[in-house]
Amino acid sequence: MGSLKSLECEYPIIDSDFQNFCASHGIFSVEDILIHDLYMLVAFAEQQSTSERLKQGITQILSIIDGQHQPWLNGMELLEDAQQNKQVLSTGCEGIDMLLQGGLCVGHLTELVGPSSSGKTQICLKVASGVATRYMGGVVFIDTGNSFSPLRIAHFINQIPDTIFKEVKQNILEKVMSQILCHSVFDIFAMLDVVHQLEYSLRSQVQTGADQVRLLIVDSISSLITPILGGSGSHGRALMISAGFLLKKLAHEHNLAVVVTNHMVGGEGGILKPALGESWKSIPHVRLLLSRDPGSSICHMSILKHSYMASGRAARFMI
Amino acid sequence: MAARGWICTDESAKEMLSRVSAERSLMLLPPLHRVPLRLGNVVEIAGPSPSAKTQILIQAAVYCILPKEWRGVHYGGLEHLVMFIDLDCCFDILCLSQSLKHRLMETSGSGNKVNWEQNDDPWGFGTEEPNIGYDEELFAACMRRFLYIRCYDTFEFLATLKTLRYRLQRARETHGVTAHFLMIDSIGAFYWVDRTSTSLHLESNSRKRLSLQSISETVVEEIRKLLLVHPMLVLATKATILGDTYSTNEVKRTSMKLSSNDPSNLRTVTGGPQKLSYREFMPLVWQSFVTHRILVRAADDDPASSKYQSQSIFLSEWLMPPLNSSDKFIVRDVITCICCYHFGSTHLQIFDTRNQGKKERSSRNLPGIGEEKSRRYLKILKCGSSLTWSSSRSFSKHKLVEHVACDS
Repeated sequence: MGSLKSLECEYPIIDSDFQNFCASHGIFSVEDILIHDLYMLVAFAEQQSTSERLKQGITQILSIIDGQHQPWLNGMELLEDAQQNKQVLSTGCEGIDMLLQGGLCVGHLTELVGPSSSGKTQICLKVASGVATRYMGGVVFIDTGNSFSPLRIAHFINQIPDTIFKEVKQNILEKVMSQILCHSVFDIFAMLDVVHQLEYSLRSQVQTGADQVRLLIVDSISSLITPILGGSGSHGRALMISAGFLLKKLAHEHNLAVVVTNHMVGGEGGILKPALGESWKSIPHVRLLLSRDPGSSICHMSILKHSYMASGRAARFMI
Repeated sequence: MAARGWICTDESAKEMLSRVSAERSLMLLPPLHRVPLRLGNVVEIAGPSPSAKTQILIQAAVYCILPKEWRGVHYGGLEHLVMFIDLDCCFDILCLSQSLKHRLMETSGSGNKVNWEQNDDPWGFGTEEPNIGYDEELFAACMRRFLYIRCYDTFEFLATLKTLRYRLQRARETHGVTAHFLMIDSIGAFYWVDRTSTSLHLESNSRKRLSLQSISETVVEEIRKLLLVHPMLVLATKATILGDTYSTNEVKRTSMKLSSNDPSNLRTVTGGPQKLSYREFMPLVWQSFVTHRILVRAADDDPASSKYQSQSIFLSEWLMPPLNSSDKFIVRDVITCICCYHFGSTHLQIFDTRNQGKKERSSRNLPGIGEEKSRRYLKILKCGSSLTWSSSRSFSKHKLVEHVACDS
């Protein structure tokens, strides 16, 4: 938020007279204007000798504030944007696609919750390979636990029945692998750094066609956030919520699908519940619960929360 | 003479009452229909996540943007604008458009031009509905009356509120009608972030600090001033983010659904009263601004409805004004219909939003949802034999929560 002084060069109406008037009411920046009562300010401005000019300055500040928020859209514009930009990305696994009625939604933050070794990372790798192959889109994989395995991705890619010629297959393999970028991060600030850089690069470049980033995977976000979530302190939760909103903003504004994984902790009565607490629950658009019978390769997935589907729908599949 | 003019009456009480009841008539929005609402009320819909809070907002929005009448067909809507401020950023426009389409198709009936195309339907539900069309022009007109904005942090929210008045004026010039509903999805979305935000101001003491208190005061003041000039019904959802007993039960419920479909198995596991622990976390200035409060939450399974995998059951309970009853409502998978069920009566009451009347019928069982096409939107039915009642029907106010939680 800029201070009033910095706005002077761009908007000459905000001259030193106006700044002094504002300073007398304790307003030094646009941020202060947001929590101040503007009608009172106008009433005070009326009493001054240069009331007209001051009121013009206040109007100018209001129009600056008007540019600070997202634009208002009506239902038809939203619908058009949803139909044009927000496609559904197939995960590559039929069972999940059937459950989610198509796959991952672009613009949505999907959370995979499950106890350890329930298949979360495997699903992430499969989705990454599927999106990179099928849609030729870029995938950014933020790996917090050294679980990214290029061999496994190559295995998934080779599973997709494509061509039979070995050289062509090798080329495809190279091309697809080069589109998957893996970042190893071990704390929340490094992750936020990576995400901010991604946002900056998406905003500044015009990406078309094959190289456009389509998928962002954070495996696992809970291992980054759990160390900072302390008892009743609010700083950890504030950071968690800011990270969640940043991911959602990235998903919506730049048409990505975002997948994060979460682990489970013990709750009341010994029943496992998803980690990260109550405040996190309303952040993802879609929450999926995974479990796997020990020794078998069949996973169960059920919906905990979805924008338009009832929770409790379940499916079984094999990875 | 000026003093005499000041003392003369503007209107009598009778005239004022008739004017106000015409301008700000009572509205009944299912499933909030237990308490009639009017413009100027501030309703808070609280509940853990996920409960059908956003769905309630969507249904209310559909009611507002529908016209009263269009080409001879009576839709019974308010034909006014809806301003939707999305702080959660979890809103899906497809939900709204599907609900609206379903409503249009149901009301217009057969005989309109058949416009139902397969590629228009992303979820493949076309086979279930009969092949009646909806008016595309009407659909577009209704969708344009829904105004939406999303805010990614508190500053954007405050900026939106400060400029909302001018936005409403411009919308009034464009559409010719004013906004009747102001919806805020998840008023507590930035609670934790606001709590940690402080600003060190060393220059002067008169500078206002940026804190949760000052932000909440500003939000409340802006909305209050806005309601003076543009009277609207404010519907705000709030996710209860502190200490809830439902987190474990939710996982238990979904994992039970996975295992076996044996009704007796479900009954024993999910039996027992569910105590509702609701802790208020919003600052006092917001709490005193709210005029009505309702609590919604997901209900546990009962065996009769376990076969309907495509729908979820929710319970709702009015906290302000406190009512001695709890409603049960079902959201079906396509989110077209919210059917309501009422715990408290032994005989049926069927509530039809069209003619705003009540009729009494004999009791029916739960699985009869959606059978009657004429009662297109809202039903209050007694639940089937799965409910048991305490013998004394005199609910005292103190036992409000316990009676809600009675064994099902």
